[in-house]
Amino acid sequence: MKELTVGSDAPGERLFLLGNEAIARGAIEAGVQVAAAYPGTPSSEIMETLAGVAQQLGIYVEWSTNEKVAFEVAFAASLSGLRALASMKHVGLNVAHDAVMTASYAGARGGMVLLVADDPWAWSSQSEQDSRYVAEQGYLPVLEPSSVAEARDMMVDAFRLSEEFHHPFMVRSVTRISHGRSDVTLGEISKERRQGHFAKDPARMVFTPSGARKNRPLMIDRFNQIKQAVDTFPGNHLELKNGARLGIIACGLSYSYTREALKWLGLEGQVSLLKIGTPHPLPERLVKELLEAVPEVLVAEELDPFVELHVKAIAGGSNIRVNIHGKDLIPLVGELSTRLLTEAIARLTNSRLPIDFAAIDKLGAELAPLLPARPPTLCPGCPHRASQYALKMAGKRVAREYGQDAEAVYPGDIGCYTLSYLPPIESMDVVLCMGASFGIANGLAHVLDTPVIGQLGDSTFFHSGIPALLNAVFNKAKVTMVILDNTATAMTGFQPHPGTGYTATGEKTTMVKPEDIARACGVEFVEVVDPFDLKQATDVMERAIRFNGPSVVVSRRPCTIIDQRNKKKAGEETIIYHIDQERCDGKCEACIKLLGCPAITKDDGRTIIDDTLCTGCGLCVYTCPYHAILKGVPE
Amino acid sequence: MRPLCLHLPVSRHTKGGARIVAEYNVLIAGVGGQGVILISELLGNAAVRDGINVRGSEVLGMAVRGGPVVSIIRLGSDVYGPLIPAGKGDILIALEPSEALRNSTHLSPSSKVILNTETTVPFTVPLGESTYPAMDEIIARLNKVSSEIISLNAREIAVEAGSSLSANIVMLGAAFGAGQLPIKLDTIKEAIQAHFPAKLATINIKAFDLGYQQSRVHHQ
Repeated sequence: MKELTVGSDAPGERLFLLGNEAIARGAIEAGVQVAAAYPGTPSSEIMETLAGVAQQLGIYVEWSTNEKVAFEVAFAASLSGLRALASMKHVGLNVAHDAVMTASYAGARGGMVLLVADDPWAWSSQSEQDSRYVAEQGYLPVLEPSSVAEARDMMVDAFRLSEEFHHPFMVRSVTRISHGRSDVTLGEISKERRQGHFAKDPARMVFTPSGARKNRPLMIDRFNQIKQAVDTFPGNHLELKNGARLGIIACGLSYSYTREALKWLGLEGQVSLLKIGTPHPLPERLVKELLEAVPEVLVAEELDPFVELHVKAIAGGSNIRVNIHGKDLIPLVGELSTRLLTEAIARLTNSRLPIDFAAIDKLGAELAPLLPARPPTLCPGCPHRASQYALKMAGKRVAREYGQDAEAVYPGDIGCYTLSYLPPIESMDVVLCMGASFGIANGLAHVLDTPVIGQLGDSTFFHSGIPALLNAVFNKAKVTMVILDNTATAMTGFQPHPGTGYTATGEKTTMVKPEDIARACGVEFVEVVDPFDLKQATDVMERAIRFNGPSVVVSRRPCTIIDQRNKKKAGEETIIYHIDQERCDGKCEACIKLLGCPAITKDDGRTIIDDTLCTGCGLCVYTCPYHAILKGVPE
Repeated sequence: MRPLCLHLPVSRHTKGGARIVAEYNVLIAGVGGQGVILISELLGNAAVRDGINVRGSEVLGMAVRGGPVVSIIRLGSDVYGPLIPAGKGDILIALEPSEALRNSTHLSPSSKVILNTETTVPFTVPLGESTYPAMDEIIARLNKVSSEIISLNAREIAVEAGSSLSANIVMLGAAFGAGQLPIKLDTIKEAIQAHFPAKLATINIKAFDLGYQQSRVHHQ
């Protein structure tokens, strides 16, 4: 059996793909030549997939330092006539926002696609956010697939349309598309390889006030042409049913749920259905046709009532009398599902529910108190746990001197280490967005009379920590800024960043050290510690907090997952720890209560170290008042 | 209008032997690191080889660092969406008992549960923040919402096969042993062979067979 991969030129063959792989495949088939991204769940695998085939297919792929840079890199390629992709998660779009807003003024030369993955229910994000509003603000047309297979199709469409209309296009994915899986039939891979050529045209490329005034009408004109074209776009499709009382407008993935719900309710063929593949701009003719054909309409879409509001505007503007439902029947919070659609449709059609959902909810409510809480947690041997422990001890020591009840304040950031806000570590007091730990720390330092300790990871530091660090120097903020350097973008799957010394495609490059940047920015206290040398790490952090001015501590230790992999490769043995049961009283549980390490657990009243989980970091040794934790396996 | 890829003509692609199904929903539940996702990849790859329409989804990212992991595989011509509608699960492959319970609301009265009896107790239990339910309670609750529970200690069987890391493949074998999965046995084994390097493939095929047999024995 011949093994197919996502890079195989095998039109007509079927492959089982992750949604993000299907998205990457679409870009490959469209002949993308430049692709850039900053990792972020649920979008990361798109660029990982492209990086994997970059050499084979002649695509330039990079992990950029942040989403704004990624967008600019891709957009520059488009301006030079190449097909280009920037991909990011919804909150990454906020970082790229400034560039995106003016890029649509400039338009595109080579096909320019911005892939944004929204995260309904915020499975791995700080917020739910509907990126279609950003697209609307920037006059960006949006394609939104209803399935993994259609995500592949729409990527191909987006490149083609972007080039046809000389305008950047957005493709909106959601978690259940990006991390959905499906069989996908492969299409042909474009072999076209263009040479970059930058045709100078300052009137269109230089955005001064006069440039803005000149280009805004041109942008609106391009957008209006696209608006005319979407009625016949194959991703939009109207099925009118004779005598139907209800019409459903289903955008993107909600179309799949709607199809299932109608089948479940036995209403197939009795409800008119408009599938929306272009939420922005909407296919107005098709929308009007549906609104005129039925007395009642339900709009289904992930997250905000974006399509719903526009459909209401179309109905109002055309004086069509029709009841339009949407977020009055479908929750504004969380993901859609076949069940939610089934319930909403049943209500509008007075249909019997196919199963007793209330009984399922009752069962769920009965089970909830029986289930052990299983929050995500730092891995056994995670260097962040040691860094947090050191930071908290150092913060406590210094805070005491500010008054009896004084406590250090710890702004935190986005990464695995965010998990340390949870008990028992509880060392992050405010977490907002990428890089905000240092920015928030700056502000706190000017209004609080207590130690302020901001902390972020190495990748986050390169992404957006540097301006706030510089700000602390410039504005004399007395803050301690800790860089938790585990030499990895660990949370999203170990993508390279400027500190790793290699690129997305595995090429060697300059290894940038955060401490060098801190010194270059003018920070006078810069130290590097190993968090597993807990005593020294704590002492250095204490000195950093006491330092009269901004201070930086780089707490450096590779991510334990990488470390274990490297040891395995090198054939190195991991020496683990055990608890001497003669010395341990089994009741104090200081190791458990202070660290919350998954490797330390209880067995029949005894406190033990799980030898399958321990990675030998030795942090627990410091917590034991009985010196009962010993290196090696018991004899 | 171009085909939306939602109506793939299953029969045309079906090679001899694989059953044509309208809808068969597989839920795989466990804890980060147990190999939940691999089971769904193998099922998906095998389904494609058998010409069966397949959809699925999973949650990665923040949810994985020691947290619960759920992966979904849906097979058949009537399947469109990536999620199993509540109450429509046909089989739950649970790599961890409390995670079986957590996901049991997806089950239907005719569904089967393949249960690994080996527990992974979360750190919140030794911290005193939550309790872990007794195995009898778990089984009793699962019995109420399913037609059959096939329980086995997957790790012990995996060790017998040659590696404790193959516990997930033991569970996959046991799921096939339950006799309803519409994928051919040969095809899932081909998918396992294709995934692992030769030496590990042998261990994993053995793990699959042992899980399968255990489940058949249970059945009779």
